[in-house]
Amino acid sequence: MADPTLPDPTLPDPTSEPPPTGPRRILIALYLIFAVAATARGIVQLATTFHAAPLAYTLSLCSGIIYIGAAVGLVTSRWWSRRLAWGACGTELVGVLVIGTASLIDRAAFPKDTVWSRFGSGYGYFPLLLPLLGLMWLWYSRPGADD
Amino acid sequence: MIDPLAYALVAAGLVLGIWCGIQGYRKLPTNDPLMIGAIVLEVGLLVQSGIGIARLQSAHLAEPVTFLAYAIGILLPLPLGFFLARIERTSWGSNTLGVTAAVAGVMTLRLLQIWRSGLG
Repeated sequence: MADPTLPDPTLPDPTSEPPPTGPRRILIALYLIFAVAATARGIVQLATTFHAAPLAYTLSLCSGIIYIGAAVGLVTSRWWSRRLAWGACGTELVGVLVIGTASLIDRAAFPKDTVWSRFGSGYGYFPLLLPLLGLMWLWYSRPGADD
Repeated sequence: MIDPLAYALVAAGLVLGIWCGIQGYRKLPTNDPLMIGAIVLEVGLLVQSGIGIARLQSAHLAEPVTFLAYAIGILLPLPLGFFLARIERTSWGSNTLGVTAAVAGVMTLRLLQIWRSGLG
């Protein structure tokens, strides 16, 4: 299926720098995986054991929704896409830093882990890495960036 | 779940991930063996999820819903990587497929954990 938003894929020559569409694909894959993982986790936890840790589980679901937002922002190419991606990636970075720090300081408030607890150590620190990668890509691929 | 199958799938996921990574490092798009490898791995995951879900009732897991979510969720990354590698005919396509293959391998490990913890 051809993506109408992308330039002709036959153009880039292998000796030059990789085209900016490439990193975006890998980000799309990672964000979609995390969107599904975090959302599913949030829904399962809220549905089965809401009383155990309402704050943590609600946060899991929220993080999942934010990952979905970032993924939508990366997949689409509308006027609001980049804004959505900036907003979602920025929120994630703040979220993982705040929740990560809070979960270390006040363990009692987070008896059950969320995706963002301890800076996402349960997920190989990808929750911390992912927004950084997303923001980096948004910055380097911004309109008007020098080629 | 069947332990040898699960371990084979973990190994296959990681090997495919590394193989794709090498292909990406060499600035090459995915080739046929890699795509076939991804399909074989996905079939293995399907068989595993099928067996796991079929045995779910008799297994008396502590977290059956979580297991079910993982058993279905584990099937998603590879088709996504496959699709993205098809449209991205550069080294980034290889990297993307590699990441999704490794994710599938790691998720298999988690699936096995959930299965074991429930059996007690």
